[in-house]
Order: sequence, then C-alpha cells, then structure tokens
Amino acid sequence: MIEPNLDLLVPAYVREFEPYIPSKPDPELQKLYGCDHLYRLNNNENPLGPPPGAQDVIRRFPPPRGAVYPSGDSYYLRQEIAACHGMEPDQVLVGNGANEVIAFVIKAFCGQGDNIITADKTFAVYEWVAVFSGIEARVIPLKEERFDDRAMLNSIDAATKVIFLCNPNNPTGTYWSRETLIAFLDEVGGRQIVVVDEAYFEFVEAGDYPDGMSLINDYPNLIVFRTFSKMYGIAGLRIGYLAGDLKVVDMIRRTCVVYSVNGIAQEAALACLRDETGHIRRTRDLVREGKEFLCAEMGAMGLPVNAGEGNYLIVKLPGSDTLAYRKLMHEGIMIRPMTGFRYPNHIRVTLAKMDAMEAFVTALKKILA
Amino acid sequence: MSQDQDRTVSLQLTARMSLLPVATHCVETAGKAFGLGREESLKLSLATEEIFSYLSSHVCRGDILDIRCVNGLSYVRVEFRFSVSTLDMGALNIAASVDCENEDDMAEMGLAIASRTIDRLNIIAERQNRICLDIEKDKNYPGVPEITNAPVDVKGALTVETPDTEGVKLYVTRVAQGPPDTLRPPFFQYPGKVADMVTAGDCQVVTAVDARGECVGGVIIRFRTDRIVEVFGPHIFCRTREDEVAGLLLDACIAKTVRTKAIGLVNLTGMPPSVQLQFELLGSLRYYWDDDKTFTRQWYYRLLHEDPGCQVFTDGVLKDYLQREYGRLFLAREIREVRDQGEMKAGASIFSTEIRREGSMAIMRPLWPGAFSRKKLSKTSFFHSTWESPGTHRS
Repeated sequence: MIEPNLDLLVPAYVREFEPYIPSKPDPELQKLYGCDHLYRLNNNENPLGPPPGAQDVIRRFPPPRGAVYPSGDSYYLRQEIAACHGMEPDQVLVGNGANEVIAFVIKAFCGQGDNIITADKTFAVYEWVAVFSGIEARVIPLKEERFDDRAMLNSIDAATKVIFLCNPNNPTGTYWSRETLIAFLDEVGGRQIVVVDEAYFEFVEAGDYPDGMSLINDYPNLIVFRTFSKMYGIAGLRIGYLAGDLKVVDMIRRTCVVYSVNGIAQEAALACLRDETGHIRRTRDLVREGKEFLCAEMGAMGLPVNAGEGNYLIVKLPGSDTLAYRKLMHEGIMIRPMTGFRYPNHIRVTLAKMDAMEAFVTALKKILA
Repeated sequence: MSQDQDRTVSLQLTARMSLLPVATHCVETAGKAFGLGREESLKLSLATEEIFSYLSSHVCRGDILDIRCVNGLSYVRVEFRFSVSTLDMGALNIAASVDCENEDDMAEMGLAIASRTIDRLNIIAERQNRICLDIEKDKNYPGVPEITNAPVDVKGALTVETPDTEGVKLYVTRVAQGPPDTLRPPFFQYPGKVADMVTAGDCQVVTAVDARGECVGGVIIRFRTDRIVEVFGPHIFCRTREDEVAGLLLDACIAKTVRTKAIGLVNLTGMPPSVQLQFELLGSLRYYWDDDKTFTRQWYYRLLHEDPGCQVFTDGVLKDYLQREYGRLFLAREIREVRDQGEMKAGASIFSTEIRREGSMAIMRPLWPGAFSRKKLSKTSFFHSTWESPGTHRS
C-alpha cells in the first residue's frame, strides 16, 4: 500500500492549522467525569428550546420526507426573511449555521495575499476560516473590552478585503452603537466588505443598539449575519443566514454550497420567524433573571463579572480557567474557559434556568473553597 | 534561493561503508559553512562517521540513506533518514556504558562515542517506516559580562512588545546578570545565541517596557514539542509593580500560543509567585549535588483549552500512581493496563540526552520505546534526582 505524501499534497497553512476538537457527547462526558447530570452552560444555547411552532414542525416532520432533497437555496425561508427586513429574497443567503456563511464570504472575497481584520477576543471562527484558507487574519486587540474602531481602520491596507465585527461581541457582550457603526462604515467608504455578525441580536434590549439590516441600503459593502441557533433555539438543526446588497450577495452566492441546509431546519426556521407566543420575551426574562442572580452571587464571592448584552456573562477567577473547567465538569457543570478567546482566567457562563444557575454557583463555591 | 534553501544541504546516498568519506566530508563542510567552529565541525563529523558506520553495517546496509544538514543559526543539525522494521541503537543512550568484549560491542562503542560528541540527539518515527535520527551541535557564543544591575524604577504605563535583536540581547543579558540560578538554561548566558534562536524561529521573546521604553521584564517561550510550550520566566527587573509586569507578560505568552497547536504551557525553571496561581503544580524535583546539598524545584503546567479526556495505557506498576495523580490534577483519564504477553518488542529503548555542561547536568528524556532489559538498565547510570508529587514524599 502506498500512502499519499501529505507533506506535498496538503498546503502548509492547512497542515499547520490546529483542528478544533469539539467536546464529546454528553453521555461520554458524564462517564468520563463520573457525574450523573450535566448542565450545559458552555455554548450559549437557549434552555427553553425552540418556539412552540418550531417544536411542532420538528415533531411532525414526515419521515418519508427524509428521502427528498430540501429546497437547495431555502426558497421559502429567504422570502420570509426578506419580508421581515424589507428586502429582496435574493439579498439573503441561508447556510448550515452562521459558520458556513462565514466561509462563503471569505471564499468570495479573499485570495492569496489578502487579509481580513477582526478582533483578538471575539468569536474565533472568522480567524480560523481565514487561516486555514491561507488568508492572513489581523486580530486587533479590544480596547476597554470593545472592538477598537480606530485600530481596525489603521490596520486596513490594499490587501484587506473583509472586516468582521461581532455586535454584540461574543464573549464580552459589548456592542457598537448605531452612531459608532455608521461612523466606521463612513470611514471604510466601501473599500472593504464589513461583516456585522448579529448572532445575539434578539437578546439586546439597549436603545442605541443598531439593527444592521436597516443600514444595508445605505452601505452596500455591509453584510449582516443572523442565526437561528441562539434566541430561536434550533442550534441542533444548524441554520443561519446573511443579508446584503443584491450585487454583493450575488457574488457570495457563487461560493455557496447549495442543498447544505436540511428541510427540517428550513421549516423550523420559518416557524421561528412566525412565532407569536412571546418566545423572545420569555427568553429575555429568563436571561435577565439569570444575569441578576449570577451578578449578585459572583459579587458576593468577590469575583469580577463582565455582564453585557447576550445570554452569557464572563466571570474572572482567581486562577486557571482550564482547571476550573475540569473541576466543574466533575460537578456536572460545563462552562466555557476563556483562555481560547485570549481571556486567561475567565470563564463564560450561559444564562440559563434557575436550577442550572444555582447548581453552577454551588459548584463554583465548592471548587474555589 | 529562499532562506530555507540557504540553510539546508541535502545528500542522498547508499548506506555502504565505501561512501563514508562522502558523508563525513559533507557534514564537516556544511558545519563550517553554517558557522560552526573547526572543533565543533569535527565533532559533528566524528558523530556522523560513527552513526553512518552503524547504519551501513547494522541497520540499513545497502539501502538509501538521506542526510540533511540544517543551519539552525545557533546550532547545526544533521538528520539521517532511513527505513527500518526494527531499531536497536541503545548505545545512543548517553549514560549507557558499552562492553568491549566482541565486535558488536565495538559497533555500539561507536554510537556511544557519537552520542557524547554532540549536544542533542532526537529520533522521530515518520510515515512509511521511516526513521529520522538527528544530532545537533551548538555554535559558540561569547558569554555575558559579570556585572550586577540595579532594579529598574517603573514609570508610567506598561506595554508588552516583541523586541528587536538588540532588545532580545538586552533582556537576556539582564536575566543572566540577575541572581544566579543553577537550573536556568545555559542559553541565558549567551545573548547572541538567543537572538539567533529567535531569528530561526526556535523561540519567541516578549518584553515589558514602561513609558520611558525601559525594559522592566521579559519572558521566553519555546515549543518543547508540537503540543507543549515551555515558558522561561517571566523575569522581572523592577521592585515595584512586579505582579502587574508578570501578569502582562504571561497574558502575552498565552495570546501568542493559544491559537497554535499547543495544548498547554509548562514551566520547569521557576516563575514569580503571583503568576503561579495561574498554573497548576505538576510536581517537584529534588536535586542532589555531590556535596550533599539538595534543593527542590517545582514544575508547573497550564492547559490552554478544555481537556477532552482520553485513555491512558500503562504498565501495571504505574497504574495506581497514575490514577492518584490524574485524580489530583482533575484530568479525566480512563487508565488501561497493558501486560507483556511475550510479543516481540523493538530493541533497546532510547533516551535523548541534553547536556548542560555549565550546570554539571544531563537531562534524559524517553525517545523510543523498546525492551530495556535489566542488563541494559544496569549499564545506565542515572543522575541523582527524585520526583515528588504534592502530598507525597519521594514517590
């Protein structure tokens, strides 16, 4: 048997890239850590699950439909999304989770020698996709926990194609106001594509938080990401989308893999958009309650908290976050250590139901005792 | 020609004794061209002679042998690549002694000589039954003058930076001129060497500077393996704001390594107490010197990501110890016991050896598993040190 010479076949930027290893399934983790339950506070999932209508779609999905290809371009869903935002359906591209649309954008705009700009402490996938595609990722340090608009603008050069902003930022929960975003877009002046990732849009209640969709008409270089994984609770179905100017999206469509979004996901997402049961309000109430509780408890323990927008907050620990992760796992609590986000000694905790919040506080007190 | 091409010389030949002069001449010439002194080039050539002789007589006689000389700037490395099904080069254990009773023993004597003339030895199993045996010889550099520096007064805001060559040399000089430390790696005595190591990509230096641009501390990070980064420091040169400087430097180290292949940081040479909290105590090593003095150095590590848990295969002798230690470190491990059931094993195991002549010390690390028979074991003189886990005594 002749083995392929992977040193010759694989580009160096792929060989050198460290693959992300997702956590094992819950039963495996429980066996490994010897715990009889597991509170998942690591992925910012919605503990309420999908809205009732979406749950109904999932429950009633006819098994024979499993044999039939879904709409290759999420035809009906794009129409609905477009109607929600007052745009054309062809201004919308749906992907297998927002992660996939990140890849669409980088493939569409970046070639060898180009670069993207993002922040050091933000969602890592922009950087990852760029790096394993052979594209330079310029990661700009946050300033006072926020995207540093001036430093990002100063990092732009002739090879810069895309600037990724996460608004509100995961994991800091900070956001740019409408005024800041508009000033930034004005300075970029259409020379680069500006992506605003609004994965946590539906959680934000602050009055000056901008709706990126409303700016697309004025800034055709602006692309906005949204997801159904967070507020709408269908992370397991993997579906997210981007929206932008017609000509820009037409270019991105060339790098888009059709049929990547399954039929249940498309129908469940439609049901999410049509929800009239108050799913968003219920989730916001839950998040608010969890945030107030954790802020008070962490304060009482003398642990600094960064609680911004979104269904998560960051706690600063007196020691290693990766050790805290392992100790908490033994207690049946799964949080996200923040060293990987370049926030050593911090953990991100998803705001969930009160039983999970109380269990987290009890476990944290135990491991820090 | 690219810089990488400028820094390598490759030779492919058949492993036959008649071609020995070709190999030794190539290595000696390359060593000189890459900046080794005459004596070091000759030693590298001598080691090449012994290894080539052994390979062409006992390991891969008549087969293709690739020799590659690499200019690592601060050292020259010679790589021998060949294909084998089994490997027995136990004599490369630098602490092994060799009998001189028959011809086979004499061949091993050659390997023992080879291992003693070079500074480092490494063996890697590559794809398709290929083995890469590499040896390294360090270049000579002038040492640091013995001057004592006063601590720096910190002024204003602190920033971390990646220093230029002069900044690297300044930082290394300040460390070397600080309090003596027997376990400090020897390269801290040679600022020019560290500057070359940085240029070659063998390590990275981060320094902290105050508002006047004064260097108030620094740290070196070096990939010990693909997955583990060794941290030297942080070294602090100021009396005030030490914790702040150490914290900034450690954060910079983490930022530089967290999105690489590394899974963790280790510190084996000491660090300021304020950053020890960010690490976990792996254990401690007690050193015994000839004059009966002892001292203990604590070893620390820090994972960079969620530990995914895994299986560990071990001999029964170590099972209880591993269970206890993994439990102490909160590392989820499923420990599986392996037993010798008479199956064939590779020949002698091999330990790499790093010689620290300045500290009268050699560090041995397991490189190649094999049947390390009691006879072989009895011929190996181990250095006197004791590993201690927290809460145990001389385990």
